[in-house]
Amino acid sequence: MISRTSAERVLNAALATGGDFAELYMEDGESHSISMLDGVVENAAYSRARGAGVRILSGTRSAYAYTVDISESALVETAKKASAIIKGEGGGVLPFTDIRDGNYRCRIPFSAVDNAKRVHLLKLGTDAAKAESGEITKVSAAYMDTDKKVLVCNTEGVWAEDRRPRTRLAFTAVASDGMEFQTGQEIPAFGMGFEAYELIDPEKDGRTAARTAVTMLHGVDCPAGYMPVVIDGGFGGVILHEACVHSLEATSVARGNSEFCGKLGQKIASDIVTAIDDGTLPGEWGSIRYDDEGNPSQCNVLIQNGMLKSYLVDRLGSRIMNQPMTGSARRQSYEFAPTSRMTNTFFAPGYDDEEEMIRTMGEGLFAAKMGGGSVNPLTGEFNFSVLEGYWVKDGKIHCPVRGAALIGRGADVLMKIDRVGMNMWFGHGMCGSRSGSVPTNVGQPRIRVSGITVGGKGGRL
Amino acid sequence: MHNGLDREHKAEIKADGRIKEYAHRLMTIAMDRGCDGAEVCVNESDEFSVGVLEDEVDDYTVSSSFGLGIRVQKDGRNGYAYTEAMDDPEGFVEEAIDNAETVKSEDIHPMAEPAEYPEIQKKTDALKDMDESEKIELCKALERETKRCDGRVKRVAYCKVVTAGGRFCIYNTLGLRAERSDRVSCCYVEPVLEDKGQMRDGFAFRADGEALDIAGCAREAVDEAIAAMDPAPVAPGKYDIILRNDAMASVLGAFAGMFSADAAQKGLSPLAGREGEDIAAECVTLMDDPLYPINPSPFDDEGTPSVAKAVIKDGKLETLLHNLKTAKKAGVKSTSNGGRSSAGSPVGVRITNFYIAPKEGTLGQLISELGDGLLITDFSGLHAGVNPVSGKFSVLCKGRLIKDGRDVRAVNEITLSGDFTELLRSIVRVGGDLRFSMPGGSCVGSPSVMVRGAMISGRGDGGQ
Repeated sequence: MISRTSAERVLNAALATGGDFAELYMEDGESHSISMLDGVVENAAYSRARGAGVRILSGTRSAYAYTVDISESALVETAKKASAIIKGEGGGVLPFTDIRDGNYRCRIPFSAVDNAKRVHLLKLGTDAAKAESGEITKVSAAYMDTDKKVLVCNTEGVWAEDRRPRTRLAFTAVASDGMEFQTGQEIPAFGMGFEAYELIDPEKDGRTAARTAVTMLHGVDCPAGYMPVVIDGGFGGVILHEACVHSLEATSVARGNSEFCGKLGQKIASDIVTAIDDGTLPGEWGSIRYDDEGNPSQCNVLIQNGMLKSYLVDRLGSRIMNQPMTGSARRQSYEFAPTSRMTNTFFAPGYDDEEEMIRTMGEGLFAAKMGGGSVNPLTGEFNFSVLEGYWVKDGKIHCPVRGAALIGRGADVLMKIDRVGMNMWFGHGMCGSRSGSVPTNVGQPRIRVSGITVGGKGGRL
Repeated sequence: MHNGLDREHKAEIKADGRIKEYAHRLMTIAMDRGCDGAEVCVNESDEFSVGVLEDEVDDYTVSSSFGLGIRVQKDGRNGYAYTEAMDDPEGFVEEAIDNAETVKSEDIHPMAEPAEYPEIQKKTDALKDMDESEKIELCKALERETKRCDGRVKRVAYCKVVTAGGRFCIYNTLGLRAERSDRVSCCYVEPVLEDKGQMRDGFAFRADGEALDIAGCAREAVDEAIAAMDPAPVAPGKYDIILRNDAMASVLGAFAGMFSADAAQKGLSPLAGREGEDIAAECVTLMDDPLYPINPSPFDDEGTPSVAKAVIKDGKLETLLHNLKTAKKAGVKSTSNGGRSSAGSPVGVRITNFYIAPKEGTLGQLISELGDGLLITDFSGLHAGVNPVSGKFSVLCKGRLIKDGRDVRAVNEITLSGDFTELLRSIVRVGGDLRFSMPGGSCVGSPSVMVRGAMISGRGDGGQ
């Protein structure tokens, strides 16, 4: 995207007013998307995003400027715009000697795939969803692929290149009896080329989405109150993502805006809880080889047997918190300065029997599928919706329930986890924060929380 | 071979620089390749933002963006492509044609023809004549003011001043040449207060004409945090509630998709086919007015001249929101709600300035009229807790407990749930305090409203 000599001149311009560190980020990527409704292709789009951003640090102060024009003169101009605010002692530009090549090789690049192949995947899932039940009234399906080349170089001599192919499908089935509408959704996704579809079974995903919708159509309003809740694996890991790890990001911790500030080495969860953020897992949706500051991705153990071990720290956070960087700097695109973010975040598998945790819970909620949620990192208050839930009575699944939401504080819930199952799997999503929207995996085995507030319409069984 | 670009247009495009030349070239290539029509959208923008922490600039961003999208029409189908790099025009057009050939929907999606556009009333921008150093000073003053407001302000988590401007143009082979520009400026602050071991944050913004009102902004943000101190849940059940203007606007925004004719035609909205029916209480009039001065625009994202309309008038659903495609399918005129989330996105439907028309009364008056009940001031995780396909919602919220028309204490960890049109039908009183959300592509606004018999749940029901 740029020669090393040009990049060096851009970085020199960035430090002209006394910044002590500067970084140039460039990206060039293509993506394809197709949407289908009830088996008919509605829209197809292609996009090419290319641009660059220059960031300058002076101590813990930062300036960022970005542009779509990637000529050397435009980049020097952009660097000058950012440096206008910086006044400092200055630093120098080291030659690029630390070369980091994260160039991932796709087995089947998206450029070698035609739209007919993409449409076929959508059709398979749609047909399977429709065939599942006569109560399925609508099936919408979407395909997306993206292949982004990224370069990060900085005044410490780092020259890091990464290539990030990703693809995903999304099937949404609507079930209706004419009065009520309920939806089910499945979103398989990987961080690899079109070879991902050797691992994805669109028919299975379409069927699963349809089953959720039909099940919920026959559900009743979930009773509200404080109760034990079993949360199934996969996207259930959103509880960890929202209720805990957002509050472990340097974005929250560095400025004292997290309930987990100053708690390293302290017990913040029950003994059976280990939580990990691992960006190195090959081919996963949330993986990166180098982060958006050019550092190698890492497997970060955040909580080990209940003890807080690490935060997620980017360069600026590292300067403020005086802690090492964790390879966690991410951004949606060149339009954002990087900050600490999650990759693939999950509760590590435990030793508990998945059936036993329901059998011994008495009365409560089994949240088989979680939806999205949000959290206030300052107070740890979170909420997320339950897309597919079942009422448990006397340790047995009694009936499907809908409209439930889980509400509480991250710190409380972590301490109340009393079962962790043996099989962990991932769900896939997009996580929005200060540096935009980035692909992340959430994951967990089936877990049980001894007590949590369930909000909803407050139905009576 | 027919080519929609006549000589005159070519001359005009050339005069306007490199982008128009590229746009023209793309349209020519598309027509040469046998397309029936082509359209180019261009979006250019610049932004400045500064954040202050402890009286020093902490975060500073300057940017310029550009994006160009093409839509080609072939055999009645539209195909789209988008780029930020103006290279390889042939390959780029080929992507769009390939996409048009992939689409199988039978729906005709016409492009806009040239039209007269209404004059728009320029909104006021209090920061228009400020240079960067003055904006930095303003930001520092906002932080200082926020800290001065109350002894419990421990620090200011975020304090920012943002100004942005953009230009959006559409050119097509029917001869359309539409150009508009907009500017937005705002400041916002998020203080953190500490009291008796509790940490609470607040938030407030001031935009455009009010962006210099740092005292009001600081006071509101600090009051917001104070109002959240010493909270407790309430017992679940049916309550009379007031949804404060900003809270009601956020719910309205979350359900805006229900009013899209596109969603309705696809069977994804409970409002499908219900035009002419009473779907809300008689006191409810819901407007979508692209000319409203909060964010006025002469035309929508596909070039249709802006028109103001009541979506709900005195409780009756008057119309859904249409673009050229959905209007053609329904046999009506576009309501000027064509939307593109970027210059290259397929044309969909979007709201413009979307608001519940104000009646009379301040929030204070509504509270004293309420008697016993709850004032809801904020929702969390709306994106996750609402289902625009079914109209159902179940959302975490907080607010204040009201007894005998008086504010008693903070309430938290409660969930408001129900059905959106049921909520609209249960509105018994609409206040006069219309307020809009943070400025953006679409602006959602509402006055405070009173609702009878809302379903509240949360802890407290057989709790510990």
